[in-house]
Amino acid sequence: MDSFLSAFFSGTSQGAIYALVSLGLVLVWRGAGVVNFAQMGQAMFTTYIASQLIQNNYSYWSAFVIALVSGAILGAIVDLGLMRPLTSRKNSQLLNSQSMRTTIPVIASLGILGVLKALAGILWAGEERGFPSPVAANALTIGNTTLAITGFDLFVIGVVFVTLALTTIFFTRTGMGLAMRASALNPEVTRLSGIRVGSVRTLSWAISGTASSLAGLLVTPKTNLSPNTLDLLLIVGFTAAVVGGLNSLTGSVLGGFIVGYVIAFVNVYSAPENVFLAILIFLLLALFIRPQGILGSKEVRRV
Amino acid sequence: MILLSIQFDAYNQSQLANIATLLIAVLSITLLTGASGQISLGQGAIMAVGGYAAALFVTKLGLSMWVSFILAIFASALFGLFLGLAAARLSGPYLAGTTLVMALAIPSIAIRFESLFGGDIGFSVDYGYPPNWLTNLIGEISIEEWSLYVALPFAALALFAVLNLSNTRSGRTWRAVRDNEVAAALAGINIARTKVIAFVCASALAGLAGAIYGFRGLVGPSVYSTDLSLLLLTAAVIGGLRSIGGAIFGTFVIVFLPDLIERVTKALALPETISDYLPALLIGLLLLLTVIFNPRGSAGALEHIRHARHSRKH
Repeated sequence: MDSFLSAFFSGTSQGAIYALVSLGLVLVWRGAGVVNFAQMGQAMFTTYIASQLIQNNYSYWSAFVIALVSGAILGAIVDLGLMRPLTSRKNSQLLNSQSMRTTIPVIASLGILGVLKALAGILWAGEERGFPSPVAANALTIGNTTLAITGFDLFVIGVVFVTLALTTIFFTRTGMGLAMRASALNPEVTRLSGIRVGSVRTLSWAISGTASSLAGLLVTPKTNLSPNTLDLLLIVGFTAAVVGGLNSLTGSVLGGFIVGYVIAFVNVYSAPENVFLAILIFLLLALFIRPQGILGSKEVRRV
Repeated sequence: MILLSIQFDAYNQSQLANIATLLIAVLSITLLTGASGQISLGQGAIMAVGGYAAALFVTKLGLSMWVSFILAIFASALFGLFLGLAAARLSGPYLAGTTLVMALAIPSIAIRFESLFGGDIGFSVDYGYPPNWLTNLIGEISIEEWSLYVALPFAALALFAVLNLSNTRSGRTWRAVRDNEVAAALAGINIARTKVIAFVCASALAGLAGAIYGFRGLVGPSVYSTDLSLLLLTAAVIGGLRSIGGAIFGTFVIVFLPDLIERVTKALALPETISDYLPALLIGLLLLLTVIFNPRGSAGALEHIRHARHSRKH
């Protein structure tokens, strides 16, 4: 029972982080039709910025906020500086090919990932460094019984749930959120009804940047920080997004928690070295059984 | 070819052998992404399949290296068949992500099943010694020279195969599926089968490259990293995804550029943090600039210039 509870709680807190990553991926996929493989590279970079600030005696929370803001800025830069010029060149012979239209942005995002990693290596040296958390990672105790959950886990779960609540309010109650959903559904009609589809698109890159940079801040106290540490998170987040449905926001969050539990239970009941294999098998199963994801809708192709 | 290699010193010989080996892998991307429009971020993992297959045939079954290389081609083609069956259902970003997960997971399988695959350490294998008839014919052969002689014929064979394939019926079928699936289906092409066949061919090439690549000294999980997969893709894109000449050019770039940079950074006495990451930075920037300004790669640019000159004359 003890190992079950500890797997359950670590699954919840890790799953919460995966949910953020997969939410970031889905936001950009819906908003711009690109799976952004550089996403966790951006997060790695902003976490380094936070780490640098903390080293220079800024408080944790000011570094936290600056990292989130720079995540948004970085996301917007990637869209404005790179992805938009890339996809707007419709006359290019290569982009006339159907398969290349989705392939070229993927390759571009890999280029960004490589550049960001190398830059981080040059600026901050490649060694692993620790990253502080505002809450101690000790197991909580009530009276004499030690609980299977740490204060840090609770902090992560709390932050993510607040973020998810804010995101839900944004998408259901504000005009901008509705505009984003509308342009994901049908950009042409949305543009005709007077919404600036381009700015909406950049906004989804910015929000995605913030979400993933939050994930970076929350995961590095456990994993430490180096240019490569967040690669795994991208893979897991992608799996979560596919499991939940690449075009469903709710699905992506659900997928994050599901994958979190899968990984936590493999870790506890099997061995940590089986995690990669478990992710691959889980992803393939998801793709075979329900390729559109749990909450995703099937793409309708017009012939 | 033999005269050519005598002119080079040992260092350049081993670099050329490297180019010949990696060229086979880059050609597999030219075939898969350039010709059939499917993207794979996990060619390194398929190379691992070929490398491990060859290493197992040599160490466990005691087969000769040449036979093992040929068998490795079949083993990775079989793997490619399974992968292709899964991939035919996937498109664009799904395929990219799934192959990336595979690139991470396959090396960890080697660690998981340690007794069979040798765990973290892997197998140390090499090209062995050149046969007597060859040394009798052209005299003493250094290890570097021998590695070049092993890699070159396979590279030539791969080049020949890819060159021919793009001009056959299947090459045209692949391009049709790449450019417009609906139109291809209406023209009576079986899309799923076409995609699977492309995957099998590309995997066979990648597996062969992986076997030769591993026999430089080590077949292990660290040899076939995700970085290798991405480097190969970079080579194919820089050169031009749709051009075989581009694949050759791109392979030269990824092999010689890091070297060139190292020489420059040493001459300038730059700090270690910069010199360690400068090659990756420049290659990443090169990839980005290519994709933004010249998505058809250097081969496409060359064609463009030639075309412009031609039209000016008239």
